[in-house]
Amino acid sequence: MKKAVENLLETACRVLSGLQDDPKAFELARVRFLGRKGELAQLFKELGKVSEQERREAGRLLNEAKSRLETLFSEALDKRRELDAARRESIDVSVPGRRPPAGRLHPITQTATEICRIFNWLGFETVEGPEIELDYYNFEALNIPKDHPARDMQDTFYISEDVVLRTHTSPIQVRTMEKRKPPVRVIAPGRTYRRDSDVTHTPMFHQVEGLMVGKGISFGDLKGILTTFVHQMFGPSVGLRFRPSFFPFTEPSAEVDIECVMCRGKGCRVCKGTGWLEILGSGMVDPEVYKYVGYDPEEITGFAFGMGIERIAMLKFGIDDLRLFFENDLRFLKQF
Amino acid sequence: MLISLNWLSDYVDCPLSPERIAEGLTMGGLEVESISLRHPQLKNVVTARIEAVEPHPNADRLKICVVSAGGLELRRIVCGAPNARAGAVAPLALPGAELSGGIVREAKVRGELSKGMLCSQKELGLSEDHSGIWILPEDTPAGIPLDEALGIKDVLMDVGITPNRGDCLSLIGIAREVAALYKTLARYPASTVEETGPPVDSLTSVTIDDPKGCPRYAARVIRGVKIGPSPDWLKNRVEAVGVRSINNIVDVTNFVMMELGQPLHAFDFNRLRERRIVVRKAEAGERFTTLDSVERELGEGTVLICDGVGSVAIGGVMGGLNSEIGPDTCDVLIESAYFDPVSIRRTSRRLGLKTEASYRFERGTDPGGVLRALDRAAALMLEVAGGEIASGKIDVCPNPLKVSEVDLRVDRVNRFLGISLSGDEMKEILERIEMRVEKCEPDRLRVTVPGFRSDITREVDLAEELARLSGYDGIPVTSPLAAVHAADSDPHQTVRAELKNLLVGAGFFEVINYSFISSGALRMLRYSEGDPAVPAPIRVRNPLSDEQAVMRTSLLPGLLNNARYNIDHRNENFKIFELSKVFLPRKEGLQAEEVHHLAGIMAGKRVELALYSDGDVDYAETKGVVEHICAFLRIDDLRFRADSLPPWLDPSASASVYVKGERVGELGRVHSEVQEAFDLKRTVFAFRLDFDSLFALRGPVPVYRGLPKFPPVPRDLALIADESLPVEQPLDFIRSLKEPLLESIEIFDIFKSEQIGEGKKSIGYRLTYRASDRSLTDEEVNTVHSQLIGKVTARFAVSLR
Ligand SMILES: [Zn+2]
Repeated sequence: MKKAVENLLETACRVLSGLQDDPKAFELARVRFLGRKGELAQLFKELGKVSEQERREAGRLLNEAKSRLETLFSEALDKRRELDAARRESIDVSVPGRRPPAGRLHPITQTATEICRIFNWLGFETVEGPEIELDYYNFEALNIPKDHPARDMQDTFYISEDVVLRTHTSPIQVRTMEKRKPPVRVIAPGRTYRRDSDVTHTPMFHQVEGLMVGKGISFGDLKGILTTFVHQMFGPSVGLRFRPSFFPFTEPSAEVDIECVMCRGKGCRVCKGTGWLEILGSGMVDPEVYKYVGYDPEEITGFAFGMGIERIAMLKFGIDDLRLFFENDLRFLKQF
Repeated sequence: MLISLNWLSDYVDCPLSPERIAEGLTMGGLEVESISLRHPQLKNVVTARIEAVEPHPNADRLKICVVSAGGLELRRIVCGAPNARAGAVAPLALPGAELSGGIVREAKVRGELSKGMLCSQKELGLSEDHSGIWILPEDTPAGIPLDEALGIKDVLMDVGITPNRGDCLSLIGIAREVAALYKTLARYPASTVEETGPPVDSLTSVTIDDPKGCPRYAARVIRGVKIGPSPDWLKNRVEAVGVRSINNIVDVTNFVMMELGQPLHAFDFNRLRERRIVVRKAEAGERFTTLDSVERELGEGTVLICDGVGSVAIGGVMGGLNSEIGPDTCDVLIESAYFDPVSIRRTSRRLGLKTEASYRFERGTDPGGVLRALDRAAALMLEVAGGEIASGKIDVCPNPLKVSEVDLRVDRVNRFLGISLSGDEMKEILERIEMRVEKCEPDRLRVTVPGFRSDITREVDLAEELARLSGYDGIPVTSPLAAVHAADSDPHQTVRAELKNLLVGAGFFEVINYSFISSGALRMLRYSEGDPAVPAPIRVRNPLSDEQAVMRTSLLPGLLNNARYNIDHRNENFKIFELSKVFLPRKEGLQAEEVHHLAGIMAGKRVELALYSDGDVDYAETKGVVEHICAFLRIDDLRFRADSLPPWLDPSASASVYVKGERVGELGRVHSEVQEAFDLKRTVFAFRLDFDSLFALRGPVPVYRGLPKFPPVPRDLALIADESLPVEQPLDFIRSLKEPLLESIEIFDIFKSEQIGEGKKSIGYRLTYRASDRSLTDEEVNTVHSQLIGKVTARFAVSLR
C-alpha cells in the first residue's frame, strides 16, 4: 500500500510538471488523480482489502496523500492563474483613456461658492436681490442721499431717475432687514455694475455682501468673523490688518488688507510695493440705516462687509488681467 | 490730494521718515496712495564747479570742461554751451540721471570721454530756458545734490481723502492728523494784518439775500497792489502741490486754500460795479460767463455773487471773467465765505463744473475758519504785492454759528467697539483732535466738536474717532455671541448649483457674460422689430457703448459671441453654458422682472480626443443634453415638437421643448443667417430653457417602489413606415394603450435601405413585459404582444418587417 501511494504521488508530480499551460490537460490530470473515479479513489477502495492491523496506517497514508495532492494541484492552479494574468496585461497601457467629458465652473462661480460656503459654516444664510434696483435701496436707505459727495464713489448706470443698476450688493442688507427681525446673519453674492471700463475695471463685476446684526455685536466681533474668513480663504498664516476707511452706511468703517499673497508682504508689483492687498470693506452698520428699516439703534448693533469676487479670484488663482473673466476663452476656462 | 512734506513741516514737527508718516496716516484712515520725490529727475544731478575749460581736439564748437563735483577727483565733461567758463558753478547730471531727454550715460563725444552732462534749466525740466548751461550763484558749494542746493528738495505724498473728511483737504488738516497720531499739536500760521487803509465799511458793503445757500460771507479790501509773478517761495509751494502759478494775488488765494482748506476768491475791486457785493439766488435761465470763458446757463437756486448791477461769480464754484484779476488790477476785494454743501454740489453737478473750491465746499468747510483765512490772505497779499489793507473787515453772518455738542457714554462705546478705555483715556484721545471734552457724569463725556469736523454729529462718530486714533489693531478680536442656528438654504439656489455641476459633468464649461447686450443683438437673432414674442429690452440711460446699450432678454447673444471668440482662437470643439438672469420689462412697477435662463452652445467634435472621435455634435446630442437636464430634475412629461420655433433656430433641425404641455425652451441648429450675423465660421447647436419654469415643474422627492421579483420578457417589434412618420408616434400610441404587462418600450434601431424601399424607414422597438406577481409565460406574452402589434398596424400606415 505504502508503495502504491508513493508511486501515485510521484506520478502526479511528474504529470503536473510536464503539463503545458493547457487548461484541458490540467483538468484531465486533476480528474485522473483526484476525481471521483480517479487513482486516489481507487486506492481508497482497496483499503477494504488491507488487513485490519495495517488498515489504520494505510488510511493515514492515503489521507496524507490526498491533502498532498490537493496542495500540489492548487499550487499549480495558482501558478497558472498568475501566468494567465501576466498574459492578459500585455495590452499597451500607454493608450489614452476614454475619458468621460468634463467641463469646469467659471472661476468666479468657484470663488463665490467658496466664500459663501465659509460664511454658511458660520451660520450666514445665502440670500439674493434684484440687479435692477431702486435708487432708494441702492443709495438712499444706505445713507447716501442725492447730492451727497459719497455718490461720487460709484459711477452709476441709470435706467430711469429712480432706477439704477445696483452699484454694490449692499441694497440686499436693507431688503433683508426690512423683511426680517433681528438677529440677522446673511451673505449675498451677485452681479454689480459701475460705469467704468479700463484695465482694472469692468462695467459689470461681482460682489459678496455680508451682514450680521443683533444684540451686543461689537467691532471686535467684526474683526473676529472677518479674521476667521481670511484664514479660511487664504490660509491660517496670512497676516491681515484693519484700516480705518469710510462708507456712508457703516460707522466705524474698516478696509481689510491681507499680506500680499504674491510676495508674502515684502512688496511687489501686485501690492504696489506696500506688502498689503485690500480685499474687503466693512464696518459697523450706521444707525441711520437702522432707522430706514425700523430697527432701534440703541438696541441693535451689527456689522456689514463686502468684497469683490474678481479680486479674490485673481489673488487665489494668480490671474493678472481682469478682462479675462468675461472673454470666456476656453483656454482660460479649462485652467480652473 | 498732493501734500508737500516740506510745506507740511511748517505746521507740524514730525521727525519721522516719509514712509513712517505715510504708514501712520494710512492706519489712521487717510490712505497714502503714493510717495514720490518732488523732482525725481534731479536724482543724480549735483552742483559742479568748472575748474578749467579746454578746447575739444576734434570739434570746434565743443569744449571740454574739467569740473569738480565733490571729492578730489576731477571729471572731464564735453560741453557745447557758449556760457561754460572756468569758475562757474553749474548743474551736472551724473551717469545714471534720468532726465526727460533720456538717461545720462558715460559716453565718448567725438572721440572724447564725457563723464556726465552739464545741464540747462530746460534739460532739467525746470523751465524753458535752453540758452546755455544753468550758471548757479558763485557761492553755491560744489558736489551737493542740486535740489538741496536750490532748496527744492521735497517729498510728495498723494493722500486719498474719503468724502467725509473735507477737513483734510488742506495742509493744516493733514498736519492736525499727523499731530494727533504722534501726540503733538499742529501750529496754525500766524496772521497779523497791518491795517493802514481807510475803514473797509467806507469802501464797500456785503448783502446776503440767500442765507441758506451762503450762511457767512466775509471780505477785506486791499488797495494799490502791484500784480506780478509770485516770489519763488510762493510759486514753489503752490506748484509743489500741482497748482499752476498765475500771479501773486491769485497764487495767494490758492496758497491759503491749500494751507487752510478755505477756498477764497479775489475780485478786481474796481470792476465791481457800485463796489459792493450781493449774494442771491440765480433765477431760472440766468446766464453767466465763468473765468474759463464759457457762458453757462445757471439753474434756479444757484448761489450767485453779484455786484451792484449783475453777477460776478458763481458762489463757491468759479469766478467770472468780468471781475477777474488782471495785470492792471490795482485794488482787490478778497472773499472768504461759507457755502451750503448741498447747494454747491447741485450747482457743480448741473454745470458739470468741478473746481478745487467746489470740491471743498461740497465736502463741508469750516464756517468758523472763514476769518482766519481772510486775514491770512490779506497779510500775504500785502507781503507779495504791496498796497495797503483797509481797516477792519466785513463779516456778514445772518445766523449765529452752531456749536456742535455730542454726548458720549463711555460704557456703551466700549461695548460697541469691544474695548475698555476709561473716560479719561477717551478724553485724552479726543482732545488730540482739538475736541473740547468735559466729564459731566461718571459715564458720560460732553464733547464740543470743532467747526472743521462737520462730519461728527453723533456718539457713533466719536466712537469711530476713538477707534481709529487708538488704532484698529488694538481692538481685540472676539467671537460674536449668537444663538446657534443652521443657515437656511434656498432650493432655487441649490438646484441652480446642482444643474451647473450636472452640466460640468457632461463636459460643459460655464461662461459669464455681461448683463447688457448691443441694441442690435435681437435683430442679429432674426427677431423683427416689434415682434410680440420678444419684449423690447430695457435700455440703460447712460451706457458706455452701443454694445452695452440694453439689458439682455436672452443669453444667446453673449453665448454666440463667446462661440465666435473661441472658434476664431482655434478652440473649435466646445460645449459652453450660462445659467443666469435675463431682464424682462414689467408692465407695472419700476424694476424689471429678473428671470433665470439656462442656455448652451455646442460645436465641433462630440469627443475631443481625436483617437475616440466619433463625429460632430448634432441635433440628437443637443436634445440629449436637454433630456439629461430634465431627467435630473425628475421631469417626466417631456415633449419635443418642431413648432413655435424662435427665428434664430434652423427649422429643419430644431424643436421646442414642452413640459406638461408648457413650452419651456428650444434647441437645435442655429440658423445659418444668425451664424453669419455673429460671424461664426462653424455650425453650432444651441439650447435654451426657462430655468424658473423648469424649477417650478421639477418632480417631487421620489417615493421608493419595491424592486421587481420576477424576470422581464423582451419582445421586439420592427415596423416599416413612411420616412415622415415621427418614430415617437407609434411609441406614444402603444404607451397610451396602458397595457398592464408592458413595463417599458424603447427604440433600438432606425435605418433605411434599398430593400425597404424609397421613402421608407425601418424602426425597431423593444418592448419589455413583466408582471409583479408571477413569471410570465411565453404564451401569455405572445398573446399580449400580437394584440399590441395588431393595434399599431391598424392605427398607422405601417407594415411589419
Ligand atoms: Zn506683493
